[in-house]
Amino acid sequence: MDRSRRNFCLGAGAAAVGAAALAAPPADAAAARKGGDPANRWAMVVDVRKCVGCQACTVACIMENAVPANSFRTIVSTYEVTEGGRAGTAMLPRLCNHCEDAPCLPVCPTGATFQRRDGIVVVDNTVCVGCGYCVQACPYDARFINHETRTADKCTFCVHRVDAGLLPACVETCVGGARIFGDLNDPGSTVSRLVRTQAPKVLKPGQGTDPRVFYIGLDPNLEGKVEGTPTLWRPSARPHAHAPAAKEHA
Amino acid sequence: MSITRRILLKTSAAGGALAAFAAGFSDTARHLVGGARAADRPDDAISGNAPPPEFRVDPATGTVTPTPGQTVANVACLGCTTLCGVRVRVDTAANRVLRVAGNPYSPLSTDPFLPYATPIRESFASLTRLGERGLQGRSTACGRGNAALEMLTSPFRVTTPLKRVGPRGSGRWEPIAFDRLVEEIAEGGDLFGEGPVDGLRGLRDLKTPIDPAAPELGPQVNRVALLSSVNDGREPFVRRFFNQALGTINVVGHGAYCGGAYRSGSGAAFGDAKKMPHAKPDLRNAEFVLFIGTAPSNAGNPFKRQAMLLARGRTDGVLNYVVVDPVLTNADNRATADRANWVPIRPGTDGALVMGMMRWMFENGRIDTRYLSQPNGAAAEAAGEAGWCNATHLVIVQKGHPREGRMLRASDMGWVTLDEKERYGDRDAFVVLAADGAPVAHDAHGGAAALFHDGALETPDGALAVKTALTLLRDETMRLELSGYADVCGVPADVIAGLAREFTAHGKKAAANAHGGMMAGNGFYNAFGVVTLNTLIGNLNHKGGTIFGGGRFPDEQDGPRYKLASFPGQVKPSGIAISRPVPYERSGEFRAARAAGRPYPAKAPWYPNAPQLTTEYLTSGLVDGYPYGLKALFLWNSNPVYGIPGVRAAAEAALRDPATLPLIVAIDPFINESSALADYIVPDTVLYETWGWAAPWAGVPTKTTTARWPVVEARTERLPGGRHVQMETFLIALAMRLGLPGFGPDAIEDTEGNRHPLERPEDWYLRGGANVAWLGKQPVPDATDEDIALSGVARLLPALKATLKDGEWRKVAFVLARGGRYQDDGEGFAGDVATHRFKDPLLVYNEAVGTARSSITGRRWTGTATWMEPVFADGTPVRRVHTPEDWPFQVVSAKSVLVSAYTIAADRLRHLHPENPVGINADDARRLGIATGDRIRIATPGGSATATAIVRHGVMPGVLAVEHGFGHREYGARPHVIGGTRQPDVPEIGAGINLNDLGIADPTRAGASVWVDPIAGSAVRQGIPARLERLAVPA
Repeated sequence: MDRSRRNFCLGAGAAAVGAAALAAPPADAAAARKGGDPANRWAMVVDVRKCVGCQACTVACIMENAVPANSFRTIVSTYEVTEGGRAGTAMLPRLCNHCEDAPCLPVCPTGATFQRRDGIVVVDNTVCVGCGYCVQACPYDARFINHETRTADKCTFCVHRVDAGLLPACVETCVGGARIFGDLNDPGSTVSRLVRTQAPKVLKPGQGTDPRVFYIGLDPNLEGKVEGTPTLWRPSARPHAHAPAAKEHA
Repeated sequence: MSITRRILLKTSAAGGALAAFAAGFSDTARHLVGGARAADRPDDAISGNAPPPEFRVDPATGTVTPTPGQTVANVACLGCTTLCGVRVRVDTAANRVLRVAGNPYSPLSTDPFLPYATPIRESFASLTRLGERGLQGRSTACGRGNAALEMLTSPFRVTTPLKRVGPRGSGRWEPIAFDRLVEEIAEGGDLFGEGPVDGLRGLRDLKTPIDPAAPELGPQVNRVALLSSVNDGREPFVRRFFNQALGTINVVGHGAYCGGAYRSGSGAAFGDAKKMPHAKPDLRNAEFVLFIGTAPSNAGNPFKRQAMLLARGRTDGVLNYVVVDPVLTNADNRATADRANWVPIRPGTDGALVMGMMRWMFENGRIDTRYLSQPNGAAAEAAGEAGWCNATHLVIVQKGHPREGRMLRASDMGWVTLDEKERYGDRDAFVVLAADGAPVAHDAHGGAAALFHDGALETPDGALAVKTALTLLRDETMRLELSGYADVCGVPADVIAGLAREFTAHGKKAAANAHGGMMAGNGFYNAFGVVTLNTLIGNLNHKGGTIFGGGRFPDEQDGPRYKLASFPGQVKPSGIAISRPVPYERSGEFRAARAAGRPYPAKAPWYPNAPQLTTEYLTSGLVDGYPYGLKALFLWNSNPVYGIPGVRAAAEAALRDPATLPLIVAIDPFINESSALADYIVPDTVLYETWGWAAPWAGVPTKTTTARWPVVEARTERLPGGRHVQMETFLIALAMRLGLPGFGPDAIEDTEGNRHPLERPEDWYLRGGANVAWLGKQPVPDATDEDIALSGVARLLPALKATLKDGEWRKVAFVLARGGRYQDDGEGFAGDVATHRFKDPLLVYNEAVGTARSSITGRRWTGTATWMEPVFADGTPVRRVHTPEDWPFQVVSAKSVLVSAYTIAADRLRHLHPENPVGINADDARRLGIATGDRIRIATPGGSATATAIVRHGVMPGVLAVEHGFGHREYGARPHVIGGTRQPDVPEIGAGINLNDLGIADPTRAGASVWVDPIAGSAVRQGIPARLERLAVPA
């Protein structure tokens, strides 16, 4: 399995979603939700036009969440794209999509992975056995096995901050103002307004996951089928002596 | 549309993904009994090891509740030279910084930023979900700024003073007691068993000339030099010691190997070659910006402010912009393809592009004649202009006339009689032509003056050939056809014309900007040209145009509370600095050479139109002892060996030789490529342990001063009385041992004449804070107890109360709590005009440049912007020496999104971006059979290096793009042995290559050299001739 290739094709098939397309979760899935306040449905809108690829989000997430070395809960994939002989830069901030119909949930044998009633998908590290099924099930490469705890790890929307009335670390520090976080259940929230008016897209809509991370201005170049051999840069330096091999999660 | 190629840039870390997964899987298979292993069990079942949030806000009531044990303090970052205001979250019990984000009061991190009077508690609320205020009031740190805190706890930090063991650069050190360190450096002696070394006491000779035959060089004390890096808010303190107390003239920053060419070219337009003012686009209001050799939102200064305004302007606003650069960067974003464009250009040819644009502007009448024709400030004001320039001023062009190249003056016309001292000075007006063609003093003319004139003018001494400054510029632009300029720079003529049309289609709401990309062998004129574009549309001081910036609240001046600029017994340094920033014609060498009939060339170049230059310190200065040798070199957070292209080859042997340079003292928290060669290393504080009063370089329309104060206790060795080893305590101890003025018990006078001590860092910085607090229309308010408690300033209370007066300390606490002093956001403009204006004229023709002669050739320079190809010191084009046939490629430096020269040891940045593959154009790569990931060898006339290739369409053909910040040999790349303990092995710190190791010498110079711009003296890293070959795949 060429996982790096999977990363690369993340954008393939992105499609616009309108407010009308926001479906309710499957009834059984909704019933299994626990914790969080059902009055809220947390979501993120990423306005790619404002992303400057500075990786502030990436590093803030690491610092906030003490993410283990060489692992990433979120990252900005930065591409050089060429069309008609003309080169440009394309950025794609990536994280857990906190899907309405999350494929990581049903594969979890222990119930460690669950969805809160406010939509945030989390992992209970006291229950997780690190089997990795959820890592494989996620179409967005958003999960990884934490090499310190040996349990599944991923973006939590900084649930500990959100519960404290704060914003996720990546949103707080987004230099270009590309990451917008808020409550879809509040029609007056910025994310609700943007989803209503900007026809944002989601990644891999064909997977039927119904993501709650939306993208404005997702480069249409990233939608199409890649022709020729995409070239993915890999470091030649050997991995850090004290850390396992690098992996671009999320 | 189809994509032919996509390349993942910047973020890498994808290698070995499957392996990591498999390892995790097989491991956990043995732990199927469930849950994280007890020993590794995180703090929380869901949020793992994330510490508790710094505070909570009740969404219903808005009440902010701080988390016990944490504070959020507003200080400055030092991950790059922008020195953004940041908020630092501290675990107080652990003395540990947990995370860093932006200071919401700071315009460098927030837009719009909070009103200065906002209480600290409310500033916290402004960052939260409460009413979505945190989305609007977002205050950020960049990727590097988020990671920089790792430097505080880096295992490679030096925490005790060190003395070398064995020869310089051996990598072995012994700790030395602080008092002993001070004694050895002050008194000298046989310090290394290699013979006697002069201490500072012996070197502080303020009377004996270095050379009795050349008294202009100054006294012996000038043989002591300090190289600093960036003014991190502490440079005035360092200058107090070295310039004013010790008395050397040789104190120099890093500009000559940073962005000096741009600054000097800008200085030529702004009429100040030493301070080199520069303006920045007003990105909040601009409609079109042309960036040349600078990549906003990829890097640059002020990085975040530019990035956030650019992102917003291209998405929600009216901003269109073009980036002209040999390398595509993150300044581009295909999601806003209609707003952001990249135009590739050949290295070092920006001058051809902008001269072509100006030619088109002249030919198509697209210059702002109303602005340009105002001969003085009052006329400009009356015409509704926000500034003025010398376009209409007449220049003497009479061949062979003693004043050829000089501005025509009132005294030349016989209108005034001034004595020798005042003649040709400020009181001697320039001459312009009125509408009827009559000559008139520039400051006596009420309306527009003639823009163009080329002819004779009757003067008391007869007819004199004169031209207006603008005529001289127009003549320069006409030297090549548009197609000729296009041939030079590789930008098609229709694109040049299109850029000129767009640039002139927005009135004053357009701007051109440059910076580090100007560091070519002709960078001075390229930069002068870019800034002159702005002059031609008259956009300075205008909303949406270029703004000079609001400046700062200076701490180090005399008053309003304490006299920090002057003190009894202070020395006024005299003589000529090592880098010769004065006319060669003023030297004894010139007089002797002229008497001998051959005044030119000088032994090495002089730079009258530049500031002091580090580029000459280690080459002509250190190696050749020209104009005099050094006996002691202090390096304060300075790393010229890493940073100056070609200097290692030119000067490393001399640096290693105590006979050439008897004493090297580094004041640095790390062992870098330069401090590794020192005799002593004095550990300095890092980031948030440090005091200082910093300021933005430009780009902020309101007055801004950023505070630095210790939010954690320094990790350097603790001294008696609670002090720590750091730059300030070292210099204070040294000054007191030497009995220097300006330090000690009664060193600081307040404005009422009382005397106060300068014995501890806070004696200086808190009193500077009092000056900051009292500047402006009125002093700042008093900090409340709650401000003090919530901001972490409480930890400074004992020092505040002990150092400052009763009426002072709460005001200084108010400033410290807010991380500085910030003029309110709305005060940057009055209508369409900037509040803080550059009031002097911009120079279309710079008389000082136009009458200076090359000290090598004796030929005069051009006084306006012009196209000059990259040259060596004697004027020989570089491509004539190192021909394209032999060296078909050109190496350029590209700024890194994540890594700066001194943050390589931050693990998290390296994990994200472990090395710097060299960008090669796809067509070049195909021709040479090079694929991404291949190993390649790059050779230049100055050295060679092996690197990894990344094949890109976003690199100009013929260009090799090297990202700055990698290829370290120190900072941890080589473990040093300190007192028998070996530093950790982290060879990853040495990954990639350093372009500066490929820099070249100037073969037209006799002595040691690195290639520099002949006027700015700035190091050349854009356009180094090179060869490229693919290396065989290792077996």
